[in-house]
Amino acid sequence: MTDLEERDLRYRKVRDGMAEGGLDLLLAFGPGWRRENVRYLSDARVTGSAAFVALPATGEPSAYSTRSQDAAAITERGWVTDAHFLDMTAPDLDRLRDSGAKRIGMAHLELLPSMLLNLIREALPGAEIVSATALLDAARMVKSEWELARMRRSAQVCAAGWQAFVDVLEPGLPEYRIVAAVEAEIKRLGAEDNFMLIASGKDEVRGMTPPSARLLEDGDMVRTELTPQMDGYWLQICRSAVVGKASDAQKRSFDLFNEAVEAGMSVVKPGITAHEVAVAQNDVFRSEGYGEYCTSQYTRVRGHGHGLHLDETPIIEGNHTVLPENAVFIIHPNTFTPIAGYHVLGDPVRVTATGCEVLVETERKLFQTSEVNA
Amino acid sequence: MKRGLVVLDPAEIPENEWHQRIDRVRERLTADGIEVALVYGDVYRSDDIAYLTNLCIYWNEGLLAIPADGAPALLTKLSPRVHTWMRRTSTLTDLRSGKAFGALVSALLADREPGTLGLVDAGLWPTALIDEVTHAAPGWVVRPLDGLVRQLRLRPSEPEKTLLRQAGAVLAEAAFTGNVSDVEQIVRDAGFTDVLVRPTATSVEITGQYRNNWLRVARDESLAADLEKAVDAVGDGVKTGSIPGARVVHHVDLSTGGEYVGQPTDRVLSAGEVVVVAIERDGAVAADTVLVTDSGKEVLTS
Repeated sequence: MTDLEERDLRYRKVRDGMAEGGLDLLLAFGPGWRRENVRYLSDARVTGSAAFVALPATGEPSAYSTRSQDAAAITERGWVTDAHFLDMTAPDLDRLRDSGAKRIGMAHLELLPSMLLNLIREALPGAEIVSATALLDAARMVKSEWELARMRRSAQVCAAGWQAFVDVLEPGLPEYRIVAAVEAEIKRLGAEDNFMLIASGKDEVRGMTPPSARLLEDGDMVRTELTPQMDGYWLQICRSAVVGKASDAQKRSFDLFNEAVEAGMSVVKPGITAHEVAVAQNDVFRSEGYGEYCTSQYTRVRGHGHGLHLDETPIIEGNHTVLPENAVFIIHPNTFTPIAGYHVLGDPVRVTATGCEVLVETERKLFQTSEVNA
Repeated sequence: MKRGLVVLDPAEIPENEWHQRIDRVRERLTADGIEVALVYGDVYRSDDIAYLTNLCIYWNEGLLAIPADGAPALLTKLSPRVHTWMRRTSTLTDLRSGKAFGALVSALLADREPGTLGLVDAGLWPTALIDEVTHAAPGWVVRPLDGLVRQLRLRPSEPEKTLLRQAGAVLAEAAFTGNVSDVEQIVRDAGFTDVLVRPTATSVEITGQYRNNWLRVARDESLAADLEKAVDAVGDGVKTGSIPGARVVHHVDLSTGGEYVGQPTDRVLSAGEVVVVAIERDGAVAADTVLVTDSGKEVLTS
């Protein structure tokens, strides 16, 4: 599939949704921390504090960004050839005004700053504006082969990032310098960005956070959720490693979490729900007497979708979202237990026709620096 | 993305300075007849909250509530599981988690007589959130408070200047390499919270957050002379429009690239402010972060 065939496929999917919702214009808004829909419709890496792509029911799309450099970045990709700098102090939304749209779907309407909404209302007085966040979420759920090829590159960077993580571990190293080593490696490989949480220590560790200045000690378990972004696509790997040699408790903890990951994978097939994948993982904890540690008091989700946003549909009991073939998500039963403290383990998977494909090649084991350095 | 060091160190910013920051907000609220102010932040733009509490909104969104007569409180949709970390890395003691901001605001105001609720920089808040908060505060007058915290941040304190100088030296070193990987290693090893590197064919631009302050450096040989000329023009009382060929962004606006405040040419620089002076041409960029002094300027990224 060529780039432009991929673009046309996406526009068809979105326009089908627009027709169902009676929309004559879609505005895919992206604030600085949620640009996935702008990327989906433009394939461009924008950096502005606010950007949006305007896709009419018929005709050519246009794009706007508050960062002047973004207009060139968008047109260079070739999906959207009409791109504009949006100067918030002297905005020019003539193209939007000319569309004469009467019913507008806005993706991420829930995050749209009031000053920008006011500008859009001035450009299109009387137009009805409704949320189209779910429309775009649904469009992005199933990945094409074109997208999967990019996500496989992300998977390679996940593996390299984890290797850099393990390689640098040693007593006396502060947590934030682990992150520095990982960032240097994945950026060397072309990663655009990375989301990463970390925790080090022993069984007192109860959750994941940004890094601190804490110095690693022998016997620490060092946990990470490492999520590089390549060509727009985020993919996550979750692993834990022990500085030195793992204790029996740390090994028991790994065995429990690995069983839960495998249980989650075992139920994946087209049409499974996020709820069912979560139940499969949680049942392992419940059967071993650790069911309370699957609650919100100790953990958040049992995984989540991946794509142009790193934290798409949550894998959690009660979320009955259907996961079709070629949906991509991570299965991670990360939580605290009294066995060895918070444990992190998980792999991203693709739903195949008959089950699932694990996208990262990194071995799922409890890493020990005593083995790496042996 | 914010994935570097987050730390609260009283040796860097003394405890009394944190109290003073909140007190200055409270004084403004009292003077303006406002009972409670709400500051909104998300992972992309949360410097006001960080300035007042040292809290890093490393994911999602948060609201900081500052009553004119009480202690600040964080309202968050994140789980109470992160409260321990938030207490360790911020000055906050009152942390409230819930599924919706509306319910959290409602509970916050429950014991108060209706008065005036101020939304700091309401124009940058999601409209949906303004509606939710307004609905949660029946009987209250809800009004915008533009620039309330930003104004307090314009001139960094002496301890902040020390941190800015440390950070500037790191960025200056990192700018010698055009290699994104090396920049990440140097800057994050030095304890930056966030780093954004933008390489072009001829230049590299590095924007970094060290503790709660942002700086930028960019190097491009072809623009070096123009940058030097622009930086030379910086001084107390100078209008930004008179700095030749330069885009001037205050460091408090750097997380959003100055995109929400515009570039008024009649803005007058004053001693104590920190600005980024940038020459941008055909995609290339050269920039320095500069402290305006009484006698001229101090380039922090040289």
